Amino acid sequence: MVASAFDYVAAGSYDEAVRLLASSGDDAKILAGGQSLMPMLNLRLAHPELLIDINPADTRPPSVAGGVLRLPALTRHRVLLEDDLVRQHCPLLADAVRHVGNVRVRNRGTIGGSLAHADPTSEIGGCVLAAGAQVLARGPDGERAIPAQELFAGYWTTALDDGEIITDVLIPVARPRQGWSFHEMVRRTSDFAIVAVAALVELDESGTAVTAARVALAGVADRVTLADPELAGLELAGLELAGLELAGRASGGDLDADPDAAVAAAAARIAGRLEPSDDVHASAAYRRRLAEVLTARALRQACARAAGAAGAAGAAG
Amino acid sequence: MNKRQIMLTVNGRDHEVWVQPSQTLLDVLHDELGLSDVRYGCGEGLCGTCTVLLDGEPVNGCLTLAVQAVGRQVTTMRGLLGPGDTLHPLQECFLRRGASQCGFCTPGMVLTSLDLVRRHREQGRARPSREEIRYALVGNLCRCTGYTKILDAIEEYADLAAGQ
Amino acid sequence: MTTTDPRTGGQATELQPGGSYRVVGTSPAHHDFVDKVKGSLHYAADWQLPGMLYGRVVRSPLPSARITGLDVAAARALPGVAAVLTAADVPHNKIVERASGGLAELEVTMPVLAQDRVRYFGEPVAVVAAATQQLADEAAELVNVDYEELPGVFDVESALADGAPRVHEVGNTLVSWQIRCGDAAAALAAADVVVEAEYRTQHVEHAYLEPEAGVGWLENGVLTLRVSTQVIEHAATIAQILRLPQSKVRVIAAYMGGGFGGKEDMTVEPFLALLVWRTRQPVRMIWDRQESLAASTKRHPFIMRYRTGASMDGTLTAQQVEILGDAGPYPNLSPRVLFAAAACACGPYRVPNASISSSAVFTNNTPSSAFRGFGAMQVVYGYEGQMDRLAERLGLSRTQVRERNFLAKGDLLPTGDRLDTCVEIGQTMHRALGMLGEPARPSRPGKLVGRGLGCNRHPYGRTIWFRDRASAWLSLQADGTLLIRSGVTDLGAGQAASLCQIAAEVLGAPLDDISIYIGDSALNPPAGGTFATRQLYMSGNAVLNAARELRDRMAPVAADLLGVAPAELEFADGRVRPVAPDAPDAPDAPDAPGVSTAASITLAELAAACDKRSISTAHLSTWRAEAGSFDPRAGQGDTFPDYTYGTHAAEVEVDTETGQVTVLRYAACHDVGRAINPMRVQGQIQGGAMQGLGYALTEDMALQDGHPQAALFADYLIPNAQDYPDVLVDIVESGEGKGPLGARGIGEPPIGNVAATIASAIADAIGARPDQLPMTPERVLGLIDAAASAGRRT
Repeated sequence: MVASAFDYVAAGSYDEAVRLLASSGDDAKILAGGQSLMPMLNLRLAHPELLIDINPADTRPPSVAGGVLRLPALTRHRVLLEDDLVRQHCPLLADAVRHVGNVRVRNRGTIGGSLAHADPTSEIGGCVLAAGAQVLARGPDGERAIPAQELFAGYWTTALDDGEIITDVLIPVARPRQGWSFHEMVRRTSDFAIVAVAALVELDESGTAVTAARVALAGVADRVTLADPELAGLELAGLELAGLELAGRASGGDLDADPDAAVAAAAARIAGRLEPSDDVHASAAYRRRLAEVLTARALRQACARAAGAAGAAGAAG
Repeated sequence: MNKRQIMLTVNGRDHEVWVQPSQTLLDVLHDELGLSDVRYGCGEGLCGTCTVLLDGEPVNGCLTLAVQAVGRQVTTMRGLLGPGDTLHPLQECFLRRGASQCGFCTPGMVLTSLDLVRRHREQGRARPSREEIRYALVGNLCRCTGYTKILDAIEEYADLAAGQ
Repeated sequence: MTTTDPRTGGQATELQPGGSYRVVGTSPAHHDFVDKVKGSLHYAADWQLPGMLYGRVVRSPLPSARITGLDVAAARALPGVAAVLTAADVPHNKIVERASGGLAELEVTMPVLAQDRVRYFGEPVAVVAAATQQLADEAAELVNVDYEELPGVFDVESALADGAPRVHEVGNTLVSWQIRCGDAAAALAAADVVVEAEYRTQHVEHAYLEPEAGVGWLENGVLTLRVSTQVIEHAATIAQILRLPQSKVRVIAAYMGGGFGGKEDMTVEPFLALLVWRTRQPVRMIWDRQESLAASTKRHPFIMRYRTGASMDGTLTAQQVEILGDAGPYPNLSPRVLFAAAACACGPYRVPNASISSSAVFTNNTPSSAFRGFGAMQVVYGYEGQMDRLAERLGLSRTQVRERNFLAKGDLLPTGDRLDTCVEIGQTMHRALGMLGEPARPSRPGKLVGRGLGCNRHPYGRTIWFRDRASAWLSLQADGTLLIRSGVTDLGAGQAASLCQIAAEVLGAPLDDISIYIGDSALNPPAGGTFATRQLYMSGNAVLNAARELRDRMAPVAADLLGVAPAELEFADGRVRPVAPDAPDAPDAPDAPGVSTAASITLAELAAACDKRSISTAHLSTWRAEAGSFDPRAGQGDTFPDYTYGTHAAEVEVDTETGQVTVLRYAACHDVGRAINPMRVQGQIQGGAMQGLGYALTEDMALQDGHPQAALFADYLIPNAQDYPDVLVDIVESGEGKGPLGARGIGEPPIGNVAATIASAIADAIGARPDQLPMTPERVLGLIDAAASAGRRT
């Protein structure tokens, strides 16, 4: 199939793109990496009359300032994978991007485009949720910041207004005593995820108790979803990194004294609250099961990394 | 029909073509310029048969607009041939190792792996391992060979390239 | 004796030493492979003609419906549209496939464009040609079809139930083959043990990287189609559809970007033909990947019910097998597929009492037809499952129970055929297992490792009662170069190149001096289509004979010039020379004593000498396969000319929390008779095994009420470069194949063993065997859960 005819204009800046978008209304679409938009056009699932190419609008590299990793919307996936700043300040994202697409998709696909596409199985979406990021959006009425938690609104739908374009993704830099983990289940390398989990955990100054934990899941709902594992206060002593933990295993004694069981229980709670759908790749029940298993694995690994980071921070400090 | 005239530089030669803005680089290269080594396989960006290098970077020809390639260097696999159509060493490795059966995926495999070996060299890294080659070729689908001989050919080339 | 070929890394075992070859048995890279690596090969979509139009098929969005209205006015009115055709525009709107040679099947015709009913999602209803592909796509969307949905049947069991909606008036069972020998019922009743199980397989798609494509045009009043096809003989059917004389239709088969059976039936041909004939302009048609996924023919899903009887020592006494194949709504090649399944349902084992019933059933699912393995492939999952179950039941090892029952040369098959070539399957089994090496340990707690194997017997060559034949024409040119003309079509597996190797071996012409012209119904001697693993067997023998006969005709001329007897001549390296009486027969030693290069002539000199004596240096030869007959009522008779035997072995790791299966090691060994080109033989085995791995673990062209669920390449999961380890290959060369120089076919056999091998390995790991394909993590997890609650190992 061949896309139906459309006009094309390159925008030299975000402001120009916003103006063009405003004057074309529903008939225009923004072209960034094109790796999600172009397949839809090739399959004749969308028929815009104008494509506004914003690739020339932004050539900034990633930067860090004031405790924030700033990723311009046009940052390519390949850059997320290879850039030292990203690896250092948001290792969760650098790790997860390995699972996105393939070499060609990563050469062109952009973080802004990914987030605007709002695929419910998006690894990048999961990471920005877990990391507590926000996006900057520019529209005819100016600029606003949208927390990642408020960005995803349903199947392939965001909270962006029609005339708005994502310009930046702001991610709090990784802090000492923070640990991360990304786990996903795919049928084939680099497929769209069946279920993916991104977890971020932070420890107290002693490096032994959890002060904050965020878990984001993809593939379990009509949008990437943030869950609170309710692990604050969990003492990590005795946490086993390996080992088979199934929900429902009897844990003798106080939950707080057995971090493995606490993690397993948290994962079970999160999975229990999910209402995924059946599709050709997995049933709802299996997705829920995967969510539980992967959440437990991600939390354990994030805690272990946090403990390691805390140890290192302690040694350095 | 709102066609416009653009200049595309393909394999080192300039071509003036009339294109619709909505035409993909794949369709223009294959249908307008008659380049049979850039092929339609899926239109979704997942199979790799439309791989071309854009300023040296592998991209999906089916997901790139022709107008986006203006002012950039487009390289297809035929662009690797030497004078008199002599084979690039990587192509020779493919031939010797039986890495082509039906041949449809070959251009994508060659361009993607060439880029991989080059980048390792430019970054001063050891030549890519077999695992790294496998990872780079995810998204270049092959239905005939089972991949083994393709990996063998690329490893052989990577060794050759590293030896230089 | 085993040697490792330094060029290919493959190992070859000479069971019959002697007969060393110069060209055969090596792996030169030449002909189409050079063009492929250069990127200069023109596939079917790479053809452009002035004034070319672009075609698009309009397809039904419903699996079972009556067409109540069809309005093409808006489509026709679109500027740039040259034609919009419907059923009324097709001169003879019927395709009749004599799939079983008229034996025992219902006669059901298939329309080219649906007339008043559609019977599957994607059935063609109209076809468009326009000045650009974009316009053709737009026009297709403007074709307005009204449908009234009708009840349909979407699985074989429903289709067979009383009162089921009829896909065709004549009934829902297209054909039902019966194979009977001995008294299976009595033997089962008397057996020491009976193992019973049901196996289910899925629709899968060929997923060649080159979608269906072609270009058609008129040339000197001849309708010419240049298409990606395995069968140029469809020219006759095209002529019938257009009510043209056969002399006015020409089909040229471009080198394919993969076929695997999916280009064995007609694909774009009838639509191109109609559009070209109507518009009198060239037309190109390329199917979308999504169109191909949703609507092109698929592999038959099977339900297989096995009851296997054996004595305490593991000797098989009886097999009772019921096979139900989902044919989709039209016959295509279903009768033949289910016949092959019936003929191979007992595998490579001696079975004295058998009762096999194999039926093709109509449904409103995607049409099923040929796919590498062709029925004989699906049954491996059944019969190997039974052997493993039997071993477990009797406390025997999986290799023991097989060795007790392996067929041998001279044995009778349940169909009544007697095996007249050697059966080296035992050797393939030990070699395959041997390649697995030391067992791996689980990579972390919660993972289990297991090993498995799968043996198969796969036919090569068409069923005997088709009286198969293939022709080839060779010509030694005046300058000593060689031309080969053969109707063979090339799937990408070296069909054409292998013929060159054989000719080079016999006539001594260097490979670079040989040109081969293939796949043209007007210009080539007919060779039959490339399917049924028949091409090396048939065309290979045709070329071998043509080359030998030509050589024998020219030899006396050379003998005369060189002053020796014709039997003392050697054709090699572009020359003809006497073989010295005492010289060893070792042609790769040009410096060996006794071999003289002084007294020799070039092939060009020989050609000139023949010409002077009015002896033709061109020769046409037709090779005929053995004939035979089959009695469908008795369920006995001749089936296939011969079989290829092989074994695969695998080691897998199962994640017991997610059910994910990782293949750690995979090995395959087949007896190929003679490896004409060892590297290509390895390639076939590696490629076939990889397709088998997809079939076993991730590929599922699932349908819901007749609607395809995986019609995007994002959803139809074929193996990529990182999913599986390298397939380790070993080959046995027993030399007793019926192909040229003792070769057996290898195109199809390697795809058959895989699913059974993986199931065997999973069963070894988790204590339960998956009986449904694909063996998804979800299904495996279900088995783990069941085993855990049954108290077996976790």
